Amino acid sequence: MLGSLAVAMYLLGLTLRNSQLVTIAVVIFVILTWAALFGGHADVASSGRRSEEFTGEEGMALGNVSAMRKMSSARLFEDGELSVTLRMQNHSGLAKILEVRDRVPEVMRIKSGSNYILMELGPRRETFIEYTVECPLRGFYSLGPVAVRMQDAFGLFHREKELHVYNDFLVFPKMEDLKETFVKSRVPKIFTGAVNIRQPGPGSEFYSLREYFEGDSFRAINWSAYARSGKLMVNERERDAVSDVIILVDSRSVAETGPVSRNALVYSTRAAASLAKYFLGRRDSVGVIVYGDEVVSVDRDTGKKQLYVILTKLAGAVAKGNTPLQVVVNRILPHINKGSPIIVLSNLEDDPTIINALRDFRARDFDVTVLSPSSLEFEFDAKRLDRTGYEVLKTERDVLIGELRGLGVNIMDWEPDMLLSTALAGARGF
Amino acid sequence: MAEKKSGDTAHLYDSKTVRSSAPSRKKLAGNAGIGTEIPKDAVPEIQIPSFVESLLGGPLVPKMKFLPPDKMVQNLQLAVYGILIALAFLTLIVSPGAGTVWYMLTGSIGVATTVQVVVIALATITGFYGTFRRDGRYLLISNVFFILAILRFASSKVALSFDPFGLADRPFLLSSLVVVYAVFLIMYIEIGNGVLRYSMLDTSIRTNEVYVMNPGKIVGKYHRALVLNPIISVVLATLVLSANTILPALVGVLSSNTAQRLEESVELTSVYGVALGTLFVFIVTGALFALNLPTHLQRYRETRDE
Repeated sequence: MLGSLAVAMYLLGLTLRNSQLVTIAVVIFVILTWAALFGGHADVASSGRRSEEFTGEEGMALGNVSAMRKMSSARLFEDGELSVTLRMQNHSGLAKILEVRDRVPEVMRIKSGSNYILMELGPRRETFIEYTVECPLRGFYSLGPVAVRMQDAFGLFHREKELHVYNDFLVFPKMEDLKETFVKSRVPKIFTGAVNIRQPGPGSEFYSLREYFEGDSFRAINWSAYARSGKLMVNERERDAVSDVIILVDSRSVAETGPVSRNALVYSTRAAASLAKYFLGRRDSVGVIVYGDEVVSVDRDTGKKQLYVILTKLAGAVAKGNTPLQVVVNRILPHINKGSPIIVLSNLEDDPTIINALRDFRARDFDVTVLSPSSLEFEFDAKRLDRTGYEVLKTERDVLIGELRGLGVNIMDWEPDMLLSTALAGARGF
Repeated sequence: MAEKKSGDTAHLYDSKTVRSSAPSRKKLAGNAGIGTEIPKDAVPEIQIPSFVESLLGGPLVPKMKFLPPDKMVQNLQLAVYGILIALAFLTLIVSPGAGTVWYMLTGSIGVATTVQVVVIALATITGFYGTFRRDGRYLLISNVFFILAILRFASSKVALSFDPFGLADRPFLLSSLVVVYAVFLIMYIEIGNGVLRYSMLDTSIRTNEVYVMNPGKIVGKYHRALVLNPIISVVLATLVLSANTILPALVGVLSSNTAQRLEESVELTSVYGVALGTLFVFIVTGALFALNLPTHLQRYRETRDE
């Protein structure tokens, strides 16, 4: 602005031969030139271009500034905190006044410290900028770049540079500690585990009484029953076994209906993580299928490593596409053991194949549980849905849920404030 | 509207009452009279600069969320008040009614002088108010008024409205007065902007948006610049504007006659002499930039300790 004013005054002064205007213009020119040459760093002033556009030595002032970043962890859970230490170094012999902003993903909140610093960095000095961010939402994230700005004292000229220092980290969905899921397999597997499968065999839970046969352990004899009946009776126990548990997570674009932090996908991923942790803790074999624009599956496996694999997939689930459930069912049906528990986490919206797909499962005697986070509630709570619309959609949803229940599906309309364990118990009719 | 009162939706579904989520939330949202449009608070406020604002470097935000001014901002405000008074006085002196745009429009020196005084008064008042309220809009209006006041549409040397010290007879002092006036004008614009900049910075510091390490050094540099830059500018501008004195002096080393002719030259003592001096100085400055001297200087300063 000052430059334009000076040019205008200078030209007007020359045209009108008015020495007063020329004098004022000259003074403005002088101040600008002084600020450009010596007021700030020369290369800040000498060009308005960004330093990365330079290939030569012109970006020296900012070229001598470097950044390194260190994080407390590369993996954490939702609502976890990440400590970041940014190390800024000035390799030159000149002190510099720098504005430094470390770019943090928008969904993150700065818990303590600051990612935006104004500082004087002395010659050949370094400084550490420390801050803590709170990570409220799961996902793959990246810290960086580091934006650095220098300007002259009057703010007439400035220069910016982005230091391309990036650190990736992963936020896993947070998990609810489940005591009981009421989900049991009717299919035994080879290895014994902690799951009752409603068949007699080695286990801890009482199943039934039967007559004594040769070879039965004396410890299994029920002496009270013997006293009553006069026959040797033994306790049979329900067989514990590893079961296959399949968790289907709906990550279609419609799953993200609602506020960013409260929508069906957020709830589904948290539920899937909690269930996976619970079942893996029971030494079950857990597989997860996330479907959105494509079908991403984690093969059934057991152990802590499997939990990590599942959490990673869930962290990366993005609401995208509109793959119908029927496509998923057709794809996985040949590969899962008959009778395995299947848990579907979906808001059941915008998918006309849901009834047929779940009917296919039920027809093959799969134990199907559906937890359906209600997008209607999220939208209604966020006041994005009027009452009439809500009531109409709610009725449609109730009809669908009723129809699915009629197929023998254990289903629960999962309202936002309901705990996962409560929703599960509700789905199983408790 | 009926359902808002009773919560009964029977009329919608053939006498079937629909039960849904927790009644408290429903009631709250249902009573809010909401529609299906995007709620206003969901749309972030975006300041899009108009064409004029974009020329000025960005949007003029009407209401800055400034916290109460800190000591530095208060000092800057006091400095602006002082400069504003001096600037108003100097403007009144160096911009007589004759030659102004008002004189061109009305042809009356009386009206032109009155309008000129009013414009200067308005510039001063809006400047005071803008500085006090830390409102960029008023500061901009004040700047525009001051520039309007100084614009002259007449061929003239420096003329004064009133001359209590007899400066008109001393050309050097006269041009020095204009230089000082110009420096005051620029410092007013600069410190006015500084009030806004440091207010924003202070707000950001107090809201923990930005952390300032060693603020004393950063502020100290600005304070030094506020003192040094005007002084250096006055000296340099005086040198540039003294071309009609310096050139004959230089030529005088070679030829005293030519130097005398130059001194008496009408062109050199007129505005063209100033233009010639300016051209000469800025050719030199341009050459320094063309030779990339700032970068070489920078490199020297950056690496001299190695």
